[in-house]
Amino acid sequence: MDKKMTPLSKLFLLVIFFILYAPIFFLVIFSFNSGETMYDFKGFSLEWYRELFQDTRLLIIVLNTVVVALLSALISTIIGVLGALAIHQAKKRQTKNTLLSLNNILIVSPDVIIGASFLILFTMAGIKLGFYSVLLSHIAFSIPIVVLMVLPKLMEMSPTLIDAARDLGASRWNVLTKVIIPFIIPGIFAGFFMALTYSFDDFAVTFFVTGNGFSTLSVEIYSLARRGISLNINALSALLFLFTMLLVVIYYFITQRNKVNGMGVRKH
Amino acid sequence: MNSTIIQFTQVTKQYDNDPPVLNDVSFKIERGKFYTLLGPSGCGKTTILRLIAGFTEASKGEVLFNGKKINHVPANKRQVNTVFQDYALFPHLNVYENVAFGLRIKKMKNAEVDRKVKEALSFVNLKGYETREIREMSGGQRQRVAIARAIVNEPEVILLDEPLSALDLKLRTEMQYELRELQRRLGITFIFVTHDQEEALAMSDEIFVINKGKIQQSGTPIDIYDEPINRFVADFIGESNIVTGRMIEDYKVEFVGKEFECVDQGLNPNEPVDIVIRPEDLEITALERGKLQVRVDSQLFRGVHYEICGYDKDGNEWLVHSTKKATVGDEIGLYFDSEAIHVMRHGETEEEFDRRLEAYSDVDTNGK
Ligand SMILES: Nc1ncnc2c1ncn2[C@@H]1O[C@H](COP(=O)(O)OP(=O)(O)OP(=O)(O)O)[C@@H](O)[C@H]1O
Ligand SMILES: [Mg+2]
Repeated sequence: MDKKMTPLSKLFLLVIFFILYAPIFFLVIFSFNSGETMYDFKGFSLEWYRELFQDTRLLIIVLNTVVVALLSALISTIIGVLGALAIHQAKKRQTKNTLLSLNNILIVSPDVIIGASFLILFTMAGIKLGFYSVLLSHIAFSIPIVVLMVLPKLMEMSPTLIDAARDLGASRWNVLTKVIIPFIIPGIFAGFFMALTYSFDDFAVTFFVTGNGFSTLSVEIYSLARRGISLNINALSALLFLFTMLLVVIYYFITQRNKVNGMGVRKH
Repeated sequence: MNSTIIQFTQVTKQYDNDPPVLNDVSFKIERGKFYTLLGPSGCGKTTILRLIAGFTEASKGEVLFNGKKINHVPANKRQVNTVFQDYALFPHLNVYENVAFGLRIKKMKNAEVDRKVKEALSFVNLKGYETREIREMSGGQRQRVAIARAIVNEPEVILLDEPLSALDLKLRTEMQYELRELQRRLGITFIFVTHDQEEALAMSDEIFVINKGKIQQSGTPIDIYDEPINRFVADFIGESNIVTGRMIEDYKVEFVGKEFECVDQGLNPNEPVDIVIRPEDLEITALERGKLQVRVDSQLFRGVHYEICGYDKDGNEWLVHSTKKATVGDEIGLYFDSEAIHVMRHGETEEEFDRRLEAYSDVDTNGK
C-alpha cells in the first residue's frame, strides 16, 4: 500500500467515487429544494424537513425502525457471541469448519431468498406478520454477522490465558466473564454495530415479512417512491444517509481502538 | 510431616493412538526444594507440568498431592500455580490487576488484596509498576509479573515452564539468580522446566533428566554430571567424550586399546561398557607423560578456556577444555585421573545404577 498511485489510477478512483456518490448528493441537495421537482432547483429551504417532522406516521415508522434495529442487534449479539464460543470450543477441526461454513452461507445467500423463506416459515408457523416477524428475521440474519466478527478475536486469544485463569482458581463462569469476554469485547462491539447497520438499512427481508400496519423506513421510502416523486423522500433519505454515516464513523473508531489495544497481545 | 508433596506412580499419558508422550513415569517431589525437569524438545516436560496443574488427565497411573489422589481434581481446585512459557498475562488488565486476579477470585477483601499484591510486586522488584499495562513491560518484567501472580496466592508448589527461554543471556543469568534466591526466601517447592543443561545445573537441588517420555536419571546436579547413567544423559548434560570400552575386572577398564585404572566395580568381568571423560578433566601434558596421545585438529577460544579438538590414532575424537593453548597440528599427551573415568553399563536402569553405587560406597566405608 506504500506505493504511490499513478495520476491515472487517482483519476479512476475519483471518477468511480463520483459515480457512486453523485446520486446520493443529488438526492440530498434536492431535499433542500424549495420547489416541487427533482430537476429544477428553485432555492434553499428546509420545507421538506419541516413537513417530515410533522408527519407523525413517519415518525412512528422511524421509531419502529430504531427499536427493531437496537433490539435485533442486542439479541443477535448475545446469541452470536454464544454461537462463536460454541464454534470455538468445538474439538474437531471438521465440526468447526462445517459450522463456520453454515454460518457463512447465511451471510452470502441473497436477501430475497432469506426474506421469502422467512415469509413461508412465518405463515406456516402461524406467526402474525408485523413487529415480531420483522424482529425475528432481523435477529436471524444478524447472528451470522456477529459470529463472523467475534470468532477471529477468539482465535486470536492464546489458549494458555484460559489455563492461566483456571490455574489461579477461576471457575468456568469466571473464566468466561473475567477473561474471555473482556478479551473479545472489541469484536462484540463491532458485531453489534454491524448488526445495527444491517438491520437499519435492510429492505429485502423486511419487505417480505412486514405486514399491514407495521413498516420500517426503507420499506416506507420504497412505497413513497412508488406513489410518486415527493421531495419528502429526499429529506428522509438524507437523514438516513447521515445516520448510517454516523454508525460507520462509530464503527471505525471501535476498530481503531481495537488495533491499539491489540498491539501487546499479538506478540505472543 | 511427610516431606513428599507430589508423587507420580506409573503415570502414562497418551493422545489417541500416538505413541505415549509419558511412559510409566514415577517420581517423588519433596517439599521446599528446587526441582528441574530437563530434556530435549518434545520429551514431555510440559506434559508433566500440565498433569500436576490439572490441565490434562493421565491415561494411566496416579498423581498424588499430599498423599491424596488428584487425577480428577479440576485445575482451579489445586494448590499449585503455574508460570507459563508465554507468561499468559491477561492483556486487558494492568500489572496490579494481573497479580490480584487469583485473590479477587477468592473474594478477598480489598485492603488485603492491596497489601498482598504490593508485597508480591516488591518481592519481584517491580514496585511502582502497578498501573502499567502489560504491553508496556519488557520481557523480563513480564516474567516477573507472571511470577508475582503465582506467588501471591501462596501455593505449595510453583510450576515454571521454561520461563527464561525468551530472555537474552545476561538477563537470563540475572533471573536465574533471582529465581533461586526467591525460592530460598519463600521456601516453597519449585518445579522448573528447561532444556538448557547449564541452567539446570546452576539452579536445582534435584534434576530429572527426561528423554522420550521416560525419566532417564534423577539426582543432584553433581551426581548427574559426575555419574551419568547412560550415553544420553552424559551427552545431554555438558559436553563429553564418549567411547566404548570393556570392564576387565573391578577397578580396571580397557578402552582405545589400552588398560586404565578406574574407581568402578561391581560389574561383570569383560562386560562391554561406555566410557565418559569430561573435556575439563583432560589435561594437556607432554606426549610421553600423557595417558592418551592425540593430534590437535582445531582450537577455539571460548573466553574462560580453549576448546581443543583432537583425534587419536584410532580416529576417536577428544574434546579438551584447557586454559593452556595448544598448537594445531601438534601431537600432545592427555592426562587424566582415574576418578575422571565414568563407566556406564549398557541398558542399566536407575534403580540398578543406584544399587550398584550404594553397594560400593558401602564397601568403601567398610573397608576403611
Ligand atoms: N494435545 C496434544 N495432542 C497430541 N500430542 C500432543 C499434545 N500435546 C502434546 N503432544 C505431544 O506430546 C509430546 C510432548 O510434548 P510436551 O509439550 O510435553 O514437550 P516438551 O518436553 O514440553 O517440549 P518443549 O521443550 O518443546 O516445550 C510432543 O511430542 C507433542 O507433540
Ligand atoms: Mg514445553
